[in-house]
Amino acid sequence: MAMTINRRLMLGTLAGVSALAMGLGAANAQDKLRIAAIVQSLDTEFNVLWANAAEAHPLVADGTIELTVLDGRMDPFNQSNQFDTAINEGYDAIIFIPVDINAGNDPVARAMEAGVPVIGSNTLISDTDLYHAFISSDDVLAGEMLARSVIEKINGEGNVVIVEGMIGQSAQVQRLEGIQKVLAEYPNINVLETRTANWSRAEALTLVENWLISNGGDIQGVIAENDEMAIGSLEAVKAYGLDPATVPVAGVDGITDALLAVQRGEMMSTLQDANALAQGAIDLAAAAVQGDAYTPVAAVWDVNGGALVWGGGTEKQYSVPWVPVTADNVEELLALRDGA
Amino acid sequence: MQKALEGRQVLDLSDAGFSVEQTVLLAATDISKSFNGVPALLDGRIQLHAGSVHALCGGNGAGKSTFLNILMGLLRADGGTMVRDGQVVSYASAAEALADGIAIITQELSPVLDMTVAENIYLGREPRRGWFTDSAKMVADARALFDRLKFKIDATAVMRDLTVAQMQLVEIAKAISRESQVLIMDEPTSAIGEKESETLFEAIRSLQAQGVGIIYVSHRLTDIFSIADSYTVFRDGRFVESGAIADIDRQRLIGLIVGRDLRDQEPRAEREATEAVIEARNFSNGGVFTDISLSVAKGEILGLYGLMGAGRSEFANALYGNGPKQSGDVLLRGTQLIIKHPSDALRAGIAMVTEDRKGNGLVLPASVRDNIVMGALKRFSSFGFMKAGEENRAVDAQIERFRVRTASRDLAVQNLSGGNQQKVVFARCIETNPQVLICDEPTRGIDEGAKREIYAFLSDFAARGNAVLMISSEIPEILANADRIIVFRSGRIAGELTAAEATQEALVHLAS
Amino acid sequence: MVELAQKSSEARNARFGRVVSRYGIVLAFLILFVILSFAHQNFLSTGNITNVLRQVSINGILAVGMTFVILTGGIDLSIGSVLAFAGIVAGALVTGADPSNPFLAVAAAIGVGALFGAVNGLLVARFKVTAFVATLGMLSMARGATLLISDGRPVPNLSADFRWLGQGFVAGIPVPVICFALVFVIAWVVLRFTIYGRWIYAVGGNVRSARTSGIPTRMVTFSAYLIMGALAGFAGAILTARTTSALPQAGLGYELDAIAAVVIGGTSLVGGVGSVVFTLVGVLIIGVIGNGLDLLGVSSYYQQIVKGAIIVAAVLIDRSRNAQS
Repeated sequence: MAMTINRRLMLGTLAGVSALAMGLGAANAQDKLRIAAIVQSLDTEFNVLWANAAEAHPLVADGTIELTVLDGRMDPFNQSNQFDTAINEGYDAIIFIPVDINAGNDPVARAMEAGVPVIGSNTLISDTDLYHAFISSDDVLAGEMLARSVIEKINGEGNVVIVEGMIGQSAQVQRLEGIQKVLAEYPNINVLETRTANWSRAEALTLVENWLISNGGDIQGVIAENDEMAIGSLEAVKAYGLDPATVPVAGVDGITDALLAVQRGEMMSTLQDANALAQGAIDLAAAAVQGDAYTPVAAVWDVNGGALVWGGGTEKQYSVPWVPVTADNVEELLALRDGA
Repeated sequence: MQKALEGRQVLDLSDAGFSVEQTVLLAATDISKSFNGVPALLDGRIQLHAGSVHALCGGNGAGKSTFLNILMGLLRADGGTMVRDGQVVSYASAAEALADGIAIITQELSPVLDMTVAENIYLGREPRRGWFTDSAKMVADARALFDRLKFKIDATAVMRDLTVAQMQLVEIAKAISRESQVLIMDEPTSAIGEKESETLFEAIRSLQAQGVGIIYVSHRLTDIFSIADSYTVFRDGRFVESGAIADIDRQRLIGLIVGRDLRDQEPRAEREATEAVIEARNFSNGGVFTDISLSVAKGEILGLYGLMGAGRSEFANALYGNGPKQSGDVLLRGTQLIIKHPSDALRAGIAMVTEDRKGNGLVLPASVRDNIVMGALKRFSSFGFMKAGEENRAVDAQIERFRVRTASRDLAVQNLSGGNQQKVVFARCIETNPQVLICDEPTRGIDEGAKREIYAFLSDFAARGNAVLMISSEIPEILANADRIIVFRSGRIAGELTAAEATQEALVHLAS
Repeated sequence: MVELAQKSSEARNARFGRVVSRYGIVLAFLILFVILSFAHQNFLSTGNITNVLRQVSINGILAVGMTFVILTGGIDLSIGSVLAFAGIVAGALVTGADPSNPFLAVAAAIGVGALFGAVNGLLVARFKVTAFVATLGMLSMARGATLLISDGRPVPNLSADFRWLGQGFVAGIPVPVICFALVFVIAWVVLRFTIYGRWIYAVGGNVRSARTSGIPTRMVTFSAYLIMGALAGFAGAILTARTTSALPQAGLGYELDAIAAVVIGGTSLVGGVGSVVFTLVGVLIIGVIGNGLDLLGVSSYYQQIVKGAIIVAAVLIDRSRNAQS
């Protein structure tokens, strides 16, 4: 729990722009490589894991690179303002996790035009051509894995419900696309309900409770577009008296609660590798500024023994593979988490 | 204005012996109105002539407010006829009445406090130049208006800085600027002092001279006799009598209002001086009141008189722990008290009827019961829980004692008439078993009958060996009820008179 | 004779009108209940009734506290954030290998909530900061503090004893429902039968009159926020037990649902008028609409529209009631 907050600018609703300007201004004097990371919201665990991983990047940790994480507070407009601030303050590069798939296009174009390279990470904007480069996990693929894990467990037959993320975000759009791709292969799967729970555990809990009542408990599987909602759904399933071993619930992201539930054998999850996404993005940003002279340090790259091909850091798109969480690897993943 | 009066048809609706050649601005007959099946007005009548100040009198519940609301288009009459300028009219809204030249100046003024006088007068119909307000013309117009009406008010002053009387003058000017020929004034002097009243009366006389007809509603008989020329009395929702003020005396007018012959009150009998119940020493607060020392004896009613702003209310509130003071000691039967909050005063046996009944006297949405016991909750509880039976018995006893007219003890006090609300305030004070009762303007805005009951109560309360400190700006009231009168002027005691030596002239002389 | 008969029938109609507007919201709830019973066969099932009651218990506890605050003429916007903070505190106590006694955790959550409430109360009662502004500031500060202490991450692995508070049953009744019922009954008794209840109504009805009557008005105002904070803390502990982890983003926007329930129940935002019984009806209406529309598979977008419309309708009913009296 004790984590370094000092380098992260938390923008309270009231503290606002002045604190931001002061924080950025103070750093201006030095000649280091300065990177701004504009994330969705530090209220969500995945973004926090991402930010922690970014802070742990060796060059950030030793002070060679100065990283400032800006909290987008789930507001596309706020993120747009943060872009302007970062451009004006002369940051060398920007790493971006957009709130909204479309609203993110314009700020990225502005930054690129101003000569500040933008590296996409995790969720993406709709016009990926605008990026200097982007590193992500394929959310369509995640949707496929998610749906397949539930459907295969019930042998391709039965009633399922889909709990959606916040409508309009790239993760929701692409994961749903993947889910539908798989559903098309299984004519005997009947989708009873599809509705958003806004990525929220409490909302998903209420929603699935009510669905179980309205369908008289005749639900064989729950496909949730993230782990928070999967955990809420799981609680609803258990409260209704169903056995999670026979009514599979699955989510994506690999948050700690989900890992623990997998460990108990109550749900399925797919880990999104926050370490690879965050540290990889920092390497790409540094390469964008320093060119060939830069050597990547993140463990995810092939040059450092990882699975992802660095290729000189000049590719446009990098895809970080998903890690299915299983009874076999969950202990190890949890151990890593405690260390973070 | 003069032009507007020309060529007006003269109607003969006179049934009270008015001379027929006067122009009738407004005539109403047989106006009736019921609420939820309960009649509030059965037969409302009035006949208003140009250049006349017509007093509309009646106790609370006589139907005056309902009648005025119908004249103003705020309520629709169930029956009856209204004739304005010879035309039968029926207004669907206040705007229609206003457009037809009828304006009202109410008890509760609602000016925009942070705008200037001129801006308030022309609010919503500002003179324009293109898209912009023509401020210069607005101020010039306002000044011309004040000159014509002989009002001494700065058109560029901010409303907030004006006295209540001046605000009323502004409201009057606003009405006149809309070419109103009928002006209804509802208790215009209830919130202002003697001196300011005179300013208002001068303004009214000036309007009168210009042919405006004024319906003047007031509980202050003194006002009525000094400004009105004719009167109409309502009682229990019915028209009782109409006539010229010159033909009636105070005694008979009171009789008509209360419905029985009432002698004007006699001064209280002489009484022996006894030991002080309460004594205030050296009360001062930054120029608002300075070095006030006084005492009230057992069985005594001490009157405090002074103009508005003389510091009497502020002193009384400070005495009760309800307002600021810089210095001042209180002794109750010789023992010094520390009073920092009204609860300290109540515990010691000092209760207060505050000046502003709605502002800080009652909790309007709460029931009669809750209001009556509000000062004495501890007595009706054990371990923090209310004892409903005892409480209800006590409340019922108070309702009976003060003859509070209410459908039930559970009715919200906002549904009661002013007089009955005031009785609830008294009942609340008495329920705390006080030895000293401070009352600030105890009969303001209530009807004649209720006033009498309150006077009788105060007299009885004092006679039981208690002390009363009564603040009033109604001279006849203070002369009739106080054993001794202390006059305030600019925050200091200007003099003291016994009941025997006090006269209207002497009080006014000391106060101003 | 004829006139008399007519008069009494008019009076009866008027009385009927008053009853309809006074209990209109109860009637609306019953109608809603009947319609949903016919619309979905499972609505009236024991399982669903239990379900609805459990779902409303968090908002119910908050709305009871909000009734106190609104009765004094105030408002508390900070409760969603305070709830989250208290939840994290409770969660931190019962996580890991050596969890504390769950009752200690609940007490800590209530205490922490009361602390936030006390700050709100001081700002409003002592320093005369407008309630809206003071609690808006606290909304932001408490959320920031929550994220700070939790590092933006959930506190997982809560002890089973603690989770019983959110998930357990006593005699077939979910524990959160029992907690809500207790809070409700105590609040009802306090507001209705005690001196303190009278003080609350008096202060909200007219603070200056209350002072004139010797009521310690500042203390009363302060205490309303204190109670609200404590209940927000309690609700935070229950919500945490229900979601199995303490979530830093819990309770976002909960203040609005609590205010909505109080307003639907006809408690005047000006203060001095209202009842916790009608707040209960407001809570149930919001809960039943959410549940019913979920059962019928109506989009959550419509739920928001319906909820908003009911709030506005409730205020309109309230206004017509005031106009009558």
